[in-house]
Amino acid sequence: MAPPPATAVADAMNPPVRPQDSQANIDIMAVTKGFHWPWLIALLFALSGVGLAGATLAWQTYEGLGVAGYQAPVFWGVYIITFVFWIGIGHAGTLISAILYLFRAKWRNAINRGAETMTVFAVLTAALFPLIHIGRLWKFYFLLPYPNQRYLWVNFKSPLLWDVFAVNTYLTISVLFFLVGLIPDIAIARDRAVGWKKVVYTILSAGWQGTGKQWKAHSRAVLHLSGLATPLVLSVHSIVSWDFAMSIVPGWHATIFAPYFVAGAIFGGFAMVIVVMVPVRRIFRLEAYITDYHFENMSRFILFTSLICGYAYGAEYFIAWYSAVEFEQTSFWQRAFGPYWFSTWCMIIFNVVMPQLLWIKKLRTNIPFLFVLCFFINLGMWFERYVIIITSLSREYIPAAWGLYIPSLVEMIVLTGSFCWFSMFFLLYLKMFPIIAISEVKELDIHARDHARHDAHAAHASGGAH
Amino acid sequence: MAELVSVYDYPSDVATVVRKLKARGFDDLTTYSPAPFEEIELAEDPRPSKVRAFHLGGSLVGVVVGFGIQIWMSMDWPIKIAGKNIAAIPPMWIIGFELQTLFGGILVVAGLAMLAGLYPRPLDKHYSPRFSAEEFGVVVRCEERDAAEVESLMRGHNAKEVKRAEAH
Repeated sequence: MAPPPATAVADAMNPPVRPQDSQANIDIMAVTKGFHWPWLIALLFALSGVGLAGATLAWQTYEGLGVAGYQAPVFWGVYIITFVFWIGIGHAGTLISAILYLFRAKWRNAINRGAETMTVFAVLTAALFPLIHIGRLWKFYFLLPYPNQRYLWVNFKSPLLWDVFAVNTYLTISVLFFLVGLIPDIAIARDRAVGWKKVVYTILSAGWQGTGKQWKAHSRAVLHLSGLATPLVLSVHSIVSWDFAMSIVPGWHATIFAPYFVAGAIFGGFAMVIVVMVPVRRIFRLEAYITDYHFENMSRFILFTSLICGYAYGAEYFIAWYSAVEFEQTSFWQRAFGPYWFSTWCMIIFNVVMPQLLWIKKLRTNIPFLFVLCFFINLGMWFERYVIIITSLSREYIPAAWGLYIPSLVEMIVLTGSFCWFSMFFLLYLKMFPIIAISEVKELDIHARDHARHDAHAAHASGGAH
Repeated sequence: MAELVSVYDYPSDVATVVRKLKARGFDDLTTYSPAPFEEIELAEDPRPSKVRAFHLGGSLVGVVVGFGIQIWMSMDWPIKIAGKNIAAIPPMWIIGFELQTLFGGILVVAGLAMLAGLYPRPLDKHYSPRFSAEEFGVVVRCEERDAAEVESLMRGHNAKEVKRAEAH
């Protein structure tokens, strides 16, 4: 019998109708299709916030940093607080994607894409703030080592320069990690798209077909990127902490700062993943993929890192007392009972006291409760940076040089705008690319079915033997 | 030459049939799968991936660049800080590490693009959207006289479809 012509085979392998698409493809790609009112309202709100913050920032750039509320001795304010906050938020994505990948924690598969997306946009948001903080935005390149007519190079012994390298490296690696993971899912979108979307997805999927050779290179690339990203994520917030700890300001000059900052970043990052993913799951009906089990596991991480934060807060106070250094003692006394007592107690209550409720399993799996708790944790983490930066700077060595910093309206608008900026990118992403790593979800699902089939065969064979 | 295209539901079947085909000398084959499955990767090519060479190369370049620019620039514009050496090595580890990671990561992705052929191009003629759903494909190119044996191997390992086409 003569074989059928190749074109007939090709036609047979590419049927015009695809009656047997996988449920995961259908459910997850549905997020990118159709119209969702809550999404549109949120996007309009985010765009308004970005517009307002943009106009305010333009005004600040025109007028100068005097409108930002800085006054002696506090010249690091809301912008640096917000920079550290967003860098911290960006840590959960890499933790979930890289560290849990290396530990083969398969439960991460449903949430890693959302967390990675959040990481990329959070770091992009964070990267704006040092530029906003310097006032003269157009001079940002002074931070970089570049040849110039003054034969002047940057100071490599400064932690602020280390931070420039760390944040830019982290942003680059996070984006690469995110894009590498996204390619197979863009190919899924390509195979199901029509019109201009198909053209865009075809270009972005870069010829991905899921061949054995491609998957092998992809898996190893993800493994190697995870190996690179794991120490990187720990280094980035350690280096951010050294912006403070390398100085001699009371309340900052502490060796505990690096692990304290890293734990706090993971804590706040996980809380933000929950704040973001709860409404996404609800609005786009993704309960079958992002389950209570995932939220419970994230709650455990939050509880664990909350305890580390609590320990760090306690250790700071203990060392201040035990060191017998008057300036340290005064600084910490001022934190708890000085003019900024409100922020300190918010920090302690939101970050240490309230998360202890997660010891109760019923609350760990109560999604509305988790959403509210994580909202307060994010608030608490912002206050943590407020406490570290403002109380220490406003209460240094000489009481005559003490001062009071109150954020200006301009700073608060730009702060609010940063949340809108982050939300805007996240919302636009939702309508363009899969928010859940489809191929990774399918990997688990197909493996489970394959194992179930083998178990059924084994049971059948042993039944037959008897 | 003949080409046989088979479709499967389970990765273990694909891994088994690929191992059997390779054992019989049918090495010219391509698999398609909707997700990464280590058993298929190992059956198709058990050798270590060359991505690690890109990682090593990138990392070494990053370390050299990281330390190199810091030492050179420190010597070119000497700033004496706290009595330390002009080109003090300990603080240079930080930027050295960051650039090692940066260059290593970029080269890993470049390696992925090269090894996996990731650039905009037409898809294989036997690729099907079914393989980005939940089905697996195995395409074998063999001599016409071996086609029956290949088909038999495929059908013997739960292929739900086997099609034949002439290779060009």
